[in-house]
Amino acid sequence: MSRADAATLRTRVEETGLLWGLVGLVALLSVLPIGRLIVEGLAPGGQLSATALGKVMASPTTWTATANSLVTAICATVLATLIGGTVALLATLTDIRARNAFTFCFVLPLMIAPQVTALAWLQLFGPSSTLLKLIGMAPPLGSRNPLYSREGIILLLGLQYAPLVFLTLRAGLRALPKELIEAGLAVGASPLTVLRTVVLPLMTPPLVAGIALCFVSSLGNFGIPAFLGIPGNFLVLPTLIYQRLAGLGPGLLSEVAILSLLIGLIAMVGILLQDLMLRRRDFRITTTSSAARPFELGRWRRPVEIGLWSFAILVLAMPFFGLVSTSLIPAFGVPLNARTATLANYAYVLMEHAASKRAFVNSFLMSAGAATAIVLICVPLGYFIVWKKSRALRLLNLAAELPYAMPGVVLAIAAILLFLKPLPLIGVSLYNTIWIILFAYLARFLVLGLRPVVSGYLQVDRTLEEAAQIAGAGLPRRLVTVIFPLVAPAAVAGALLIFLTAFNELTVSALLWSSGAETLGVVVFSFEQGGDSTYASALATITVLVTVCLMASTTLFAQRLPQGVLPWRD
Amino acid sequence: MSQTRRSLIAAAVGGALAVSAPAFAQAPSGKLVLYTSQPEKDAAQTTAAFKKAYPNVEIEIFRSGTTEVMGKLAAEISAGQPGADVLLIADAASMEILKGQNQLLAYPGAKTDGLQEGSFDKDKTYFGSKLITTGIAFNTAAKEKPASWNDLTNPALKGQISMPSPLYSGAAAIMLSTMTARPDLGWKLFEGLKANEAVAVRGNGAVLKSVATGEKAYGVLVDFMAFNAKKQGSPVEFVFPKEGAPAVTEPVAIVKTTKNEAAAKAFVDFILSDDGQKLALSMGYIPAKPSIGSPAWLPEGTKINVMPSDIAAVVKATEADKARFATMFGN
Repeated sequence: MSRADAATLRTRVEETGLLWGLVGLVALLSVLPIGRLIVEGLAPGGQLSATALGKVMASPTTWTATANSLVTAICATVLATLIGGTVALLATLTDIRARNAFTFCFVLPLMIAPQVTALAWLQLFGPSSTLLKLIGMAPPLGSRNPLYSREGIILLLGLQYAPLVFLTLRAGLRALPKELIEAGLAVGASPLTVLRTVVLPLMTPPLVAGIALCFVSSLGNFGIPAFLGIPGNFLVLPTLIYQRLAGLGPGLLSEVAILSLLIGLIAMVGILLQDLMLRRRDFRITTTSSAARPFELGRWRRPVEIGLWSFAILVLAMPFFGLVSTSLIPAFGVPLNARTATLANYAYVLMEHAASKRAFVNSFLMSAGAATAIVLICVPLGYFIVWKKSRALRLLNLAAELPYAMPGVVLAIAAILLFLKPLPLIGVSLYNTIWIILFAYLARFLVLGLRPVVSGYLQVDRTLEEAAQIAGAGLPRRLVTVIFPLVAPAAVAGALLIFLTAFNELTVSALLWSSGAETLGVVVFSFEQGGDSTYASALATITVLVTVCLMASTTLFAQRLPQGVLPWRD
Repeated sequence: MSQTRRSLIAAAVGGALAVSAPAFAQAPSGKLVLYTSQPEKDAAQTTAAFKKAYPNVEIEIFRSGTTEVMGKLAAEISAGQPGADVLLIADAASMEILKGQNQLLAYPGAKTDGLQEGSFDKDKTYFGSKLITTGIAFNTAAKEKPASWNDLTNPALKGQISMPSPLYSGAAAIMLSTMTARPDLGWKLFEGLKANEAVAVRGNGAVLKSVATGEKAYGVLVDFMAFNAKKQGSPVEFVFPKEGAPAVTEPVAIVKTTKNEAAAKAFVDFILSDDGQKLALSMGYIPAKPSIGSPAWLPEGTKINVMPSDIAAVVKATEADKARFATMFGN
């Protein structure tokens, strides 16, 4: 065998090994929990039985909730796409000032738990609204809050997930070469024509990725429909699942499993549609080193800036202001003024409550760990899905969606069913350790990293990587030196989404935590439930502040990163 | 030596030193896992006090909402390995269902003398630890002062009432079935509430928030939450309605599969002992043993009229009642 042959063989082995390693890993994270749920739904206790299936399918409530879920998820996605898309285009392609600060602020609402946002908006429109009282427009005591409705749910879901579209689209826009836009403008096309005929067509992959993430997120969100839908008895699938879970009784898990699979099916249809939208077209761009910013707004600059900032402040500052003001009062309903303001809640969560500190460390490590691990998995995964068109992985790409679409409680139940008994072969039990939570995080948030990375690959031209291959670089080396830098902006956007979402998540860890393995979400939820909302708000406020500091401090290291990697840095 | 003496004294205090049971001659030790839906602070206090009384037992705790605790337990039972030795959860209906699935261990030796009539299971599988009654809370800015359940149907209160949803809260589901079974209230009351545009929210915490912030003027709420908030300065008042207040008892029970029966029994003994009852009192609850006294927020000499509840009947009726409630309050 000649040396060249040996090298080719080595490359083959490396590639195949990596491919099957990935297949195994993704199957473990997405197919395994879903498979376990299917077993629970159709064969509880090992006996095939269609009782639960029949019961769920025969119940009119199931179909009402399904219809409601579809309507709210689709409308919320449209709203989030309009908001997030417009803001991303304005903040990336025009010459507004302070764009970094703006990007930073626009991403932050992802940090604030949906139920906090919901409460803040309810208060804003309610009879106790400080803002409405100021302008003398507060509704009388007891008037019905307009947000307790389908439209209210759609509005808040749309606002909650607009940053998803914003982040993915922004990552894509960073790769847009200046020359294309300049060429368009040079031949006399108006900026809007250039946007319609050049920018948007090229931005299909990130836009579609953002839309898909939005849809799945809205479909699986429990916090907002629980807050706004329960009073009006407006049911969606996640709240119906929770209702069934509260109903106790035999056969309950099977019903919950089947309802969750129903959500999973809807999510899969969404992904298939996404694939259709991306088919038969070519979106590749050869990357340039400078991000495009050619559109000068001229006299429109100030109005656009004012509009963007007012919106960011409304969406971010309002819930945050609600959090802070609740964290400073001794009890709910006490007006906040110089006499009542107190730091006692902060003192309690920082000094006295041991679990808060532990939860901070746990949540931070697990979110950062999940974000890093998922990006490391997704970069080679995207390579095989997009460039190598691996069939096995394309199917798994669909399955990756499921653990994220179903309510976290259900994923937690699947994890319990899987890991309660010690693992075969090694005899170690993950149950009641931090590792079972990490597994659930990896399974749940895989798709948040995968969608942006796949869209990144669709945008990148393969020539550089092929050149490296011809020069004899093996796949691992190409991944590190050529491929990763090319998809880094998208990968970092994904990592950020994962970190922010995992840092505050509650529904998964609510069933999986154990003494010593608390997460922040669990501690905040525990306070809330005991009626100690003031402690909960204090802890949530600290969380937001710490995250802001962390994100800001990454900017210091950003000097060494390639351009366009950090979403809030030009 | 001192160690043994201390635990002997502790055991005596805990009432675990049953003279006729030589099994308890040795103080319980080893690991004990408790699943509870008590609020965070209370759960921490309960385990600390138990640790003090039984220093050799290592108690571990899982705390979450009732739905989450029951969901976790259901998943563990389905996987064939319940993780808890003892349970301390909100309502008797959940316990009754677990008992029906043969998941609870009877403890005939439990000391039930002095406990409130009807607060424990006659087969000695679960025992009420306290009394959490539900009444009417209202914002101090509210115009009316309701004194009975039927006052909530007064048109003057239209659009200003919130209550915990029986579809999401076990305690509220018990309340629904208890009240609708009574001739003086029945479904008529709930039809009146519906006509008055009452909204059902997810849980008691949400009701407290909406009443305290003035989003709604009146709320159906558990007693201790209203009084604790009032103590901290929230603008809320609370009344025990004339017809009686439905109550849940936060029962304690032993899981059948427990590997540490001695420690599990010690935990039940501790919760029902005078010390355990005083602890519940110090947290602001009405103890299950009337002899222990009543919490500071309860005005001297108040005789709470607890609405009796036939748990077995409630468990039978609850599915149908919830379905009817859902249709009635549906849109």
